[in-house]
Amino acid sequence: MTVLEELRQAVVDGQAKMAVAKATEALEQGIAAEVLLAEGLIAAMNEVGQLFEEGEIFVPEMLVSARAMNAALAILKPLLADEGEGARTAGTVAIGTVQGDLHDIGKNLVAMMLEGNGFNVVDLGTDVPPARFAEAVRDGADVVALSALLTTTMTNMRDVVEAITEAGLRGRVRIVVGGAPITAKYASDIGADGYAPDASKAVRKVRELLAV
Amino acid sequence: MGTLNERERRLAAGPGPGGAVPAPTSRQRVELALAHIEADRVPLDLGAGPTTGIHASALYRLRQALGLDAPGTPVKVTEPFQMLGEVAPDLVDVLGVDVVGVSLPTNLFGFASENWKPWTMFDGTPVLVPDQFNTDTSADPDGGVLMYPAGDTSVPPSARMPRNGFYFDAIKRQGLVDDDHLDVEDNLEEFGPITTGELEHISREVDRLLPTGKAVLGNFGGTGFGDVALVPGMNLRHARGIRDVEEWYASLNLRPGYIYEVFERQCDIGLANLAEIHRVVGDKITAVFVTGTDFGGQQGPLVSPSTYTNLFKPFHIRVNAWVHANTRWKTFIHSCGSIWRLLDDIVDAGFDALNPVQTSAAGMAPEALKQKFGDRVTFWGGGIDTQSVLPFGTPADVRAMVRDRMHAFGPGGGFVFNTVHNVQAGVPTENLLALYQAVNDSREYPLG
Repeated sequence: MTVLEELRQAVVDGQAKMAVAKATEALEQGIAAEVLLAEGLIAAMNEVGQLFEEGEIFVPEMLVSARAMNAALAILKPLLADEGEGARTAGTVAIGTVQGDLHDIGKNLVAMMLEGNGFNVVDLGTDVPPARFAEAVRDGADVVALSALLTTTMTNMRDVVEAITEAGLRGRVRIVVGGAPITAKYASDIGADGYAPDASKAVRKVRELLAV
Repeated sequence: MGTLNERERRLAAGPGPGGAVPAPTSRQRVELALAHIEADRVPLDLGAGPTTGIHASALYRLRQALGLDAPGTPVKVTEPFQMLGEVAPDLVDVLGVDVVGVSLPTNLFGFASENWKPWTMFDGTPVLVPDQFNTDTSADPDGGVLMYPAGDTSVPPSARMPRNGFYFDAIKRQGLVDDDHLDVEDNLEEFGPITTGELEHISREVDRLLPTGKAVLGNFGGTGFGDVALVPGMNLRHARGIRDVEEWYASLNLRPGYIYEVFERQCDIGLANLAEIHRVVGDKITAVFVTGTDFGGQQGPLVSPSTYTNLFKPFHIRVNAWVHANTRWKTFIHSCGSIWRLLDDIVDAGFDALNPVQTSAAGMAPEALKQKFGDRVTFWGGGIDTQSVLPFGTPADVRAMVRDRMHAFGPGGGFVFNTVHNVQAGVPTENLLALYQAVNDSREYPLG
C-alpha cells in the first residue's frame, strides 16, 4: 500500500492520528499537498459518502472520518494556501440552519462532507436570519445550503429564497435544501434549485449544480 | 398472539345481546391491544408520554375549537423542553383517550412542575409555566428564552428557545474532551437512587389516576440509554463527561468501552429504581416508557446494526427481562426514524410496544411493519404522519390517512392509536378536529 493509499484508508477508518502521520510522511516523501488533498482526503471522503449511502456506515463513523480528514487537512492547509485559495476549492458553499431552528447535526454533517470534497464552506450556524444568507451570497457564495428539522421552521426556507431574490442576487447563486421534513417537491415549490436527502447526496447535488 | 384468559375473552367479546358483559374500561382496552387481541375498539393515546402528546400552542387552539375554555384561558405546559401541554381530563373525555401518564415531579431542566405562573409564547399562546421557568428574554441578545439548570440563574443556561421559536434545544456547554481524565461517574451524575419524595409523588399520582379507569403509562426516566435529548444534562449545573451530542455520537465509535460502562452502571441504577417504584405502585401501571433514544434518521438508521447489538441491546434485554420477570407491566420503546434494519433486534430485545412508528421515514411502510412484526410488538403510534399530512394536508387527507392506518395496524389488536410523535405547533386546528373525528368514526372493531 502506498502512503497515499494509507492516508486514504486512515480517513475512511476514522483514524485521526494515523491520518496525520501518513500526511506528514507523504509530505516528507515530496508528494505535493494538493495531490494529498485530491487523492488522499477527497478520495477518502468520496468513499465515506458512498459507504454512507449504501448503508454500510452511519453517523458515528461518518463523524470520525470527517475528524480524521480535518486533522490531516490542518497539516496541508498552510501549504495549500501558498498555492492560492481559489486554486483548490471546487466552490464556496454558505450553509446554515434556518431562522427559528437550532438543530445542527445534519447541517454539520453536510458541511463536513462538502469540506472533505474540496469545497470552501462558510458555516453560518443555526437560527440564521434570511438577510444573513443574502449577505453570504453578496460575499461570494456560489451555493447556499439550507437546513431545517422542524415543520414549524421549514417554511422559513421560502423566506431565504425570497430575501436572496429581493436583494437581486438570485441569479448568482444556487440554493439547495435538506432536513427531515423536506422533500424534492417542497424544494421545487419554494423555488430552490435542489434537494438532498442526506450528507453524501448533498455533495453530489452541489457538484451537479456547479457542474464541477 | 397471547393466550386469552376468561376475562380477556369476555372483554374482547364486548356487550352481549342483553348487555350482560360490560364494555372494557380504557385500561382493559389497552391491555387487550398489548395482548394482541381486538377489544371493542382501537385504544387512543394523547398525552400519556413525552412523545405521544401535543404542543401547548396546538393544544390551546384545539381546546378553543372544542369550546372547552373561554378565549384566553391558558394551557399548562407540563413538559417545558418540547413545550407539551396538559391533556386535561375534560379533553380526555371529549376525545375518548384511553391512556394517561405519570412522571417524576421534576422536568428535564431539573425543576418541579409547580407554582404555575402565566406566560405568553412568541406566537401569542397563553400558557402556564412553573415558577422556575425563566420568562425573561432580556438575557439573550437575540431575544430568545434561556433556561437554567434547576432554575439556577447563577450558572450558565443549559437550553434556549430562539425568538419566535416553539421549542427549546440544549446549549452546548462542553469544550474538548480530555480522554485521559474521562470518568464514567461524570456521565452518571443525573442517574441516582430514586428519592422517597419521588416515590411518594408517583404513588400519589397513580392512586389519583387509577379511578379514571384509564391505562397508566409510567414515565420514570433512567433507562433511556444514550438518549441525545438527555445527554447534554440540561438539569445539571456543571455537566461533566461527554455532553455534546456530536461528541456523543462520535464516542459510540471512538470510546465504546466508556459508553458501555456508563450504560452498565446506569442500568444497575435504573433497575433498582424500577424495583422501588414497583414496590410502591405494584401493577397499577400498564406500561413503562423504557427508552426514547432515537436510532433512526429520515433515510436510515443513525447507528449501525452492530452498534445497536453490541452497545444498546444488552441493556434493553436486561430492562425488558427484569420488567417481565417482576411485574405485569409492558415495556415501551420510542425511536424516531427509519429503523427497519434494526427492528428485528429491537423486537428481539423484548419490547412490547413501539413508538412513534415514523411511517414517513424510509422503509417504514405500515403494511410491511404490521406483516413482519405485528404479532410480536404493539404499534403505539403511526396513526398519522406529522411531517406532511397533519401540518400541511387538508382535513380530507387527514381523514383518509386515519382510516388507512386503522386498517393497516388495527387488525388483531396490537395497535394503540397515536400520532407519529407529538402533535407539533402550527398544525391547523381543522386538521386536528378532522383527526380526532376520524379516529372516533373508524376505531370500532370490527374495523369497517
